[in-house]
This record gives sequence, structure tokens and C-alpha cells, in this order.
Amino acid sequence: MSDDAPRLEGPLPPAALDDPHLQPYAKHPERAQAVAAVAMVVGFLGFIGFGVAYWVGDNTQWEAVTLGGGLLALGFGVTAWGKYLMPQGPFEEERHEFHSTEAEREAMTAAVTERGGMVLKRRKLLGGLFALGSTAMGIVLLFPLLRSLGPKPGNTLFETNWKKNSQLVTVDGRAVHVDDLDVGGVLTVFPKGFTGSSQDQVILIRLAQLGPLDPPLVIYPPGRTDWGVQGYVAYSKMCTHLGCPVGLYQEQTQQLVCPCHQSIFNVQSGAIPEFGPAPRPLPQLPLTADSVGNLRAQNGFNQAVGPGFWERP
Amino acid sequence: MRSLFRARFAAPAALVGCVGFVGLLAFSPNAAPAGVAVTTTLPTLTTTATTAAPLAQPTQSVSGALNYAAPSNQTGLFYAQLPQAFVAPGEALFAANCASCHGPAGLGTNLGPNLQGLGAGTVDFWVSTGRMPLANSSVQATRKPPRFNRLQTLEISAWVQSLTPGQGTQVPIVNTNNADLEAGNTLFTLNCAACHTITGAGDALAGGAYAPSLHLATPVQTVEAIRSGPGNMPHFSVGNITNTQARDIAAYVDGVIQHPVNRGGFGLGGIGPVGEGFVGLLIGVGALMLVCFWIGDRT
Amino acid sequence: MIDKTIDRSLRWLDDRLGIAKGGRTLLDKIFPDHWSFMLGEIALYSFVVLLATGVFVSLYYIPSAHEIVYHGSYVPLRGQRVSEAYASSVGLSFDVKSGLLMRQAHHWAADIFLGSIAVHMARVFFTGAFRKPREFNWIVGVSMLILGIVNGFLGYSLPDDLVSGTGIRIAYSIIESIPLVGSYLGTFLFGGNYPGNGVIIPRFYILHVLIVPLLLIGLLAAHLGLLVKQKHTQFKGKGKTEHNVVGTPMFPTFIAKTTGFLFMTTAVLFLLGGLAQINPIWQFGQYEPYQISYAVQPDWYMGWLDGALRIMPSWEWVGWGHTIPLEVFLPAVIFPGLIFNIFIVWPFIESRHTKDLAYHNLLDRPRDRPLRTAAGVAMLTLLFMVFFASSTDVLANFFQVPLVAVLWFFRIAVIVAPVIAAVVAYKICNEMRAAEGIGKRKRPQIVTRSSTGEYSTTDAEPRPGDGVEELDAIPVPTYIDLVPPELATGAGVRRVMR
Repeated sequence: MSDDAPRLEGPLPPAALDDPHLQPYAKHPERAQAVAAVAMVVGFLGFIGFGVAYWVGDNTQWEAVTLGGGLLALGFGVTAWGKYLMPQGPFEEERHEFHSTEAEREAMTAAVTERGGMVLKRRKLLGGLFALGSTAMGIVLLFPLLRSLGPKPGNTLFETNWKKNSQLVTVDGRAVHVDDLDVGGVLTVFPKGFTGSSQDQVILIRLAQLGPLDPPLVIYPPGRTDWGVQGYVAYSKMCTHLGCPVGLYQEQTQQLVCPCHQSIFNVQSGAIPEFGPAPRPLPQLPLTADSVGNLRAQNGFNQAVGPGFWERP
Repeated sequence: MRSLFRARFAAPAALVGCVGFVGLLAFSPNAAPAGVAVTTTLPTLTTTATTAAPLAQPTQSVSGALNYAAPSNQTGLFYAQLPQAFVAPGEALFAANCASCHGPAGLGTNLGPNLQGLGAGTVDFWVSTGRMPLANSSVQATRKPPRFNRLQTLEISAWVQSLTPGQGTQVPIVNTNNADLEAGNTLFTLNCAACHTITGAGDALAGGAYAPSLHLATPVQTVEAIRSGPGNMPHFSVGNITNTQARDIAAYVDGVIQHPVNRGGFGLGGIGPVGEGFVGLLIGVGALMLVCFWIGDRT
Repeated sequence: MIDKTIDRSLRWLDDRLGIAKGGRTLLDKIFPDHWSFMLGEIALYSFVVLLATGVFVSLYYIPSAHEIVYHGSYVPLRGQRVSEAYASSVGLSFDVKSGLLMRQAHHWAADIFLGSIAVHMARVFFTGAFRKPREFNWIVGVSMLILGIVNGFLGYSLPDDLVSGTGIRIAYSIIESIPLVGSYLGTFLFGGNYPGNGVIIPRFYILHVLIVPLLLIGLLAAHLGLLVKQKHTQFKGKGKTEHNVVGTPMFPTFIAKTTGFLFMTTAVLFLLGGLAQINPIWQFGQYEPYQISYAVQPDWYMGWLDGALRIMPSWEWVGWGHTIPLEVFLPAVIFPGLIFNIFIVWPFIESRHTKDLAYHNLLDRPRDRPLRTAAGVAMLTLLFMVFFASSTDVLANFFQVPLVAVLWFFRIAVIVAPVIAAVVAYKICNEMRAAEGIGKRKRPQIVTRSSTGEYSTTDAEPRPGDGVEELDAIPVPTYIDLVPPELATGAGVRRVMR
């Protein structure tokens, strides 16, 4: 507080009570006082009301109206007191340059460069060793800070629990039979034993009512025709954009839409993205049916599911 | 002083106030002005026999013709056999109102699809929600007040059903008395929320279509929609969602989606942070900025 | 009597702490009266409410992903397996008296905290208050904005409901999109590939309630300390120079006004907190990674990032055995990084461009700096566009237009609209500068035509506020002569402080 403000040191002449700067801002102070007083009374009542509302019942709206009303009224009253009834001013204060004098600056620079330089230039070895030591400390302290947090990703980003012959089950663990869905039906399924798993969620859709002996439904791209069975197809339910569940199936247009960022996938053509930010088709799960008609995976996914990452080839 | 206050603050205050109020109305479900406000108690979530009423209410003849006493089995849902007597009047209604697009035998024309094999429940859904007869040919039929009363709707349905007996979706009778709301909640989240949103407000789909709001759907319509998959909606067969589960979903839609526990105040339309941001910025920050104007004003 | 006690206490304190001189200076600190100087106070007082309500809700919230069966009062959840985090958040809303009021007020306070920071920052930017010597305070402010957004997201994620869980899922994928280290950072932070081993909720919790708030409080102290040290800026006007500050003193006038404003800000937050429902987690249900609701958006201050993600084309880069998900990395990592860096370096860019190294305590009117104003308007337009793009689905549904059309509209608007807005802003600034006396109140004149056809003009009746001359500012008087002889009768002694 090296303020060289003279008016704080030397006594100013006392201000007269009728100095216009000290007069209230309001033209009719009595009126303003009445308004402020009423507001404060309302505020008081509001807080009492909150106490009552709290004890009488548990109603969020009454609590808000009483507490908020009380705060609003009391706050209005205090503000009105300050705005209308306190000295109207205007007052001023001087602004002093807060930077130091040139001599002080030079002294500071000298302290750093000369005093410090003298020491450091003579003891370069110690300076270097201290720098080395503290750098090493900084680096090794990062290990527990980061490395202890969790495991390395390893293969977990590439793997799912879908294996050859995995049985498709619903989220309740019920096996899915070929007769379960009608055309246009949609169901979220998991490999047996892994219900609810994020990485393994698969959306199962029935595109056609075909029996076991009917020719397979032609699905694109070519080469995947036998990946469906009796009109069923299955895709990973994790969006290739940001991993949201692609749960929005439009039956007429045969599109899957991601509810998060509206990527649109074509169900009939290997779930290639038609619009939106998703870069890749949803990976398809090849299906088959066992002897009793329960749906199973022919194989696992042939690629990592979900959004992209650096290690993905 | 006072008139000055009006001049300086009335305009911005009115602006913020109007925008805020219109916003609240726009986002409030069913545009119900007042009733949204203060719901404090949990709704009685045990919906009673009234839920079976849509089928009963209109005329005595319907309830007389249909033996729809509450199902005694555990599912709480069974499918009605519409009486043979409905078929003849239904044919007349169909010829007068539907045949121009769907063809006299319901086989479809280039204006409207083939109705054969869809079943009475499908027809009941489209007609009872007012989507049929179509008002104009937009991308998607919109819900509007139905043109036909309950009996007429069922008569048309019965006639369409008579074209292909036993096929398609039947008209359900839903008793939500013993429904499991927790199961309905879980099933709704898994199967319905991805399109209709978790609050049932509905949202836009690809291609100009949209998932409609569920705030007016009756339990019967809910089950019919689940089973028949109108428009872009998937079909949920019994192997996918059992009758009991369909009943639970219908009860959840009827009880919780349509009467949400808005313990926290205005529901803001159940559209989440979009409505909340609108209110927070316009009403919250806006109101506080008006207070700033007042405090800082020195004229 | 009371005066004597105060005097004695102050002397006692001053003997030990030496507070009299500095304290007196602080009581005399002048605050300019302009309304726009109070915008930052909205943020300050929202932060106070955030701390208070945050302490309350933290007494009931359990940061644990441990699964339990819900048995609370909300019937449709009874019997469901939920996390303790979710169960305790719903419990706070239903089974703790005033709990929902506090939780919602906390959430609204976060929304309004960041909203008022944005408005305050726009004021500081457009009036040039960030110029020398206040560059540090600008950077401190931007840092608080960033930390506020981060903490908002963390808090939004804690209830473990369906909507916020989707947000965490997206956050994981954004981390994963960083080249080279992304998948490692992701598994480190989450304790394994998504959803990890249940550590993310406790980790978010400690960040949300301890680490980020501590940083925020530290920065806030620096922000206010610098403000006192460097004193307020002020608009040009009568008697206002680069070397003074004109306004009302800290004590008593400003204290009264600002205390009232603290109460009124709190009032708005609690009124919203009990009347406007925010984030009804009981409707959303427990988060499960295979479940989703449509129309999920983050809170508004994250909306611009979500919007950028939505309108980004699918430009994934694949090559040399690696993938760079540019469709995520660019909008969600590079874009915000760029924006915040522009904010931080702007004072230095501008002073280099204008070669202006002088102190500035008087503010610019935006029109007087057309280039800066145009740049600010362009930035605001860009941010508004990506912000609105985060509700493409809701907009498409509301206006009954195809979703793809809305997305394309924003893809184009994000590039075109800022340019148009900047040009328009620049032109308007120049037009306003060219017109004399624009924006000032003019005294209307009445033109009369006499019976002989002569015209004459007279001034109209003065309207309230016309011709009010501000007094010349004086230093805050040290002493007030409370009892002048002519009023020594005793009446009116307290008139000044009424």
C-alpha cells in the first residue's frame, strides 16, 4: 500500500452534511424508504414461509417460491436502499501507475542476473546436475501419476466376446430362436454369458420371412450373402463414430440411425454409412442357426468394433 | 422517475418475458398451460380399469358386442375377436371413406397400400389415431382427432380383418391393473427410447420422417403400434416382446410417460438440455441482466 | 457507544495486523456505475451458490458404480439394479427434504455461471478491457471459463443416468481419437476399455468437488486481486480520464447494491431450481452402455462441441497401418483447442497489430474499433452456429424439416454466416461512427406554423432524465460533518445514511 494518495494522508476538509454528493439519489427518499421497507418485510415473510414449507411438507415448488421470493424481496430492498438512499456521488479516486520506478526495475534485474549469474557461472556443474536431477524427478513422477491409473489397452479394443458358435441371447439371457422376430423386427442381443456388455452389443434385424430351406436373402456387399440366416442380419450396435448404441431402426427406409449424432447406416447394404459423421460401416456379425433353430454366430467380428483409434489398421 | 423506468426497461423486460413465456409454452407437453406446474405427489401408478375404457366408452353396443371382461390370465392382454355383425357396416364405411385410395377390396391403388393381411389392430391404430383418412400426402401421416367414433373404427377394422381372417395384428384389450411398471420402464428404455426419446416426446428421423410423441397414445394404440409397426416403426412380435411385456410398456406409457413425475417444476417439454439451455440463458441470465440494468441506471 | 467499540476494536486489530490504512483504501474503492460491470458479478454469485448447494448435495451423493437394488420412493424404478451413484442421486431428489431444490439450483447455477461468464467476456472483449495492463486478467478469465466448462461436464456426468452416461461414452471415444496416445489415455483414465472397471465415477467426483474447484477458487482470487490492484476500467464520460475512476465507493453504497444483487442472483437460481425442472434423472433411468435415448444433448455450454461433432463430415484418415479419426479429433480436440488459444492470445495479437503499447483504462465503444468488433461478431456467430447445430434433431422435429437438410444448412452456415456477420458488423460500426450524436437522447422540437404561414420551432417539454447534469466527482470524503450547527437540534442527524 505505497499509495501516494495525498487525500488519505492529509485530512480533507470534512464534507458538509448538505453536500450534494451526499444526498440520496431518490427525489422522494421517504417513498423509496417505504418501498425498500415493504420489500424487506416481504423478504422476511418469504423466509418464514420457507421454514413453514419445509416443516409442513416436501414440496419443491413451495420451497422455491418462498425461499426464492424471500431472497428476491430482501435483495431488492437492500439494493433499493443502496441505489436510492445512499450518497449519490459521483465520487472518484485517482489511479496511480502501479509499476515500479526505473531504478527499482534495474535493481531487480541486477539481483537476478548479477547475483544469480555470479553463482551459476562459477558452479556450472552443480547447476547442471540439479537440472538433471529435477528433470528426472519430473519424468519419473509422471509414471505413478499416469501409469497407475489403469491398464494398457492391449488387445481389448480389438476383441469382443463373439466367438465361433456363440449363442445369441437377449439382455435377459433368453436364447433367440429363428421364429422370434417377424419381418421388420429388431432386437438387441449379446453373446451368451456376456449380457449387457458394451463391446459385445449387437443389433439383430429380420429383413425377410425365409424358412431354413429358402434361398438365402441377398445382402450386400457380395460375399456376405451367407452371413445372414433366414432373413436375419446382425450388426455391431456400437456406432463407428463415437460408440453410441445405434438403436434407431427405420423399417420402411431400412436405415439405422445413431441417436447421438445422426449418422445414417443402410441396413440392406452391409450398414454402410449414408450420411453423417460416421466413417465406417457397422461391423457385421455372421449368423447361423443351430439344429433346434437358435441363432448363433458363425464367427466373431472380422474387425474392431466401435469408434476409430490410432492402433486400428 | 417512474415513467422513465417504464421507458427504459419495459421494452427489454417485455421482450425477455414474452420470449420466455412463449418458450415455456412451446416446450410444455400437450401445450397445457397450467397443469404442468406443480405435481408433487407420485402419481397413482396403479392405473385402474379406466385403461380398458377406450374400447368401452363410445356406445353401449360395443361393450355389448364384445365380451371384454378384464382378462383373467396373468398377461393382462388378449386380442379381441370382432363380431361378425361389424363387417357389413364396416364395408359400407370403407367404401365411402377408404376405397378411393386403398381400392374397393383393400388391395391398394397407386394412392394407398394394400391392406390385406394387416389385420384389424393395424387398421384400428391408423384410424383411431386420426392418421387415416389421410389429410394430405406428406412424408408421414400425422396424428389428429379421429374422423370415426370407436364403433365405426372397429367396424372398418372388422371388415378389413374379414378379408384375411386370422392374419395380421388383432385389436388388443389391455388391462394395466397388475402391470409391472419397473419392467415397463426397462423395456421402454431398451426398445422405444432410441426413437421416441426417454420422455416420449418424439424426435426427427432420417428422410423427413419423425418418431411421434407418445403423449396421446392409449394403451390399446400402444400395443397395436408395438405389434404392427406403423410406418417406419419396427414390428415387435410376441417372440420379441411378450404380451405381458407389451402390457407393461403400455402401462408405462399411459402412466409415467403421459403423467411424468415433474417433481422439479415445469417439465420444459421433456426435451432435455435444449429446453433447459433456452430457459437458463434467456430467462435466467436475461432476468439477471435486467437487474443489472436497473442497478446500474443513473439517469 | 457503538462507535467507541468499533474504534477500540479497529485499534486492537491495527496493532496486530496493520489494517487501517489498507482497509480505508478498500472501503473507498470506486466502482463504476455502468450496468455492464455487474455481469461478472452474476458469475461470481452463481459460483457462491454453486459452492453452497454443492456442499449440500455432496452430503448425500455416493460416488460409486457399485450395483444395488433401488428401493426408494420413485415407483417405476423399484426393484431395478442401479449404481449407488444413480440411486443416491434419485434419493437426493425424492427422499431428502429440499434435496431436489438444492440439486436443481446447483444445476441451474452451473448453466447460469457459464452463461454469465460468456456475457461478461463478450463485454470485456468488445470494449477492449483486456488491453494493457489487463492481459493477465483476461487469461485468468479464459482459464476459469475452460475450467468451468470442464467442471460442468464432470458434474453433469456424476448421476450415472442414461443421458449423462452417453456423454461419458462420447468423452471416452474423443480421448480415444487422439493419435498415438488416445487408446492409452482412455484405458488409463477409465481403468480399462470402456466402460472400464468402475473407477470413472469416483475419479470424476474427486475432480469435480476438489481439484477443479480449488483451481477455480485460486484463479478467482487472482481475478479479483488483479481487479483491485489494477482498478476498474470505465467508459468515457464527464470527468472520466485515464487517471481516475468515477463511480460509487465500496462502502456503503456498492456493498449495499452488490449484497442485494447477491441475494437476487441467488433468488433467480432457487426460483428456477424449484419451478423449472432440470435434468429429471428419475425419468432417464440408470445408464447401460447398450441403451440410448434420442434427443440427447449435453448441457448448453458443451453444445458447441456436440454441434461441431454433428456437422463434421466423415473424414477418417487410414494409412500405414494406423487410423486417425479426424471426424472426431478435429471437431472435438483441435477445434476447441484452437478457439481457446485464440481467446488467450487475442490481446497480444491485437496489440501487435495496432502497435499500441500504452495503458488503457478508458474503454472503447465497440463501433470505434470496427475490426475488433467484426472479429468478435464473427467468432460469436461461429460459436452460435455450432451451438445450434447440436440440436439438429430437435430443430428438424420442431420445424418439420428433414434432418439431412438441417445438417447441411449448418455445415454451410458455419462457414458462411461468420463472414457475413463480420462484414455487416464492420459496416454498421462505420455507419454509426459517421453519424454524429447517434445513440444520444435528443430533445424533440415542436414545429408550429403560425396563421401567417411562418414556421417556428420550440423545444418540447423536457422528459424525465433530460437535462440532468451529473455533478463533478469528488474524492470520497474522509470525514462527514454529521452535526452542522444549523441542524444541531438533533433531528436529521442520520439523514445521510438513511
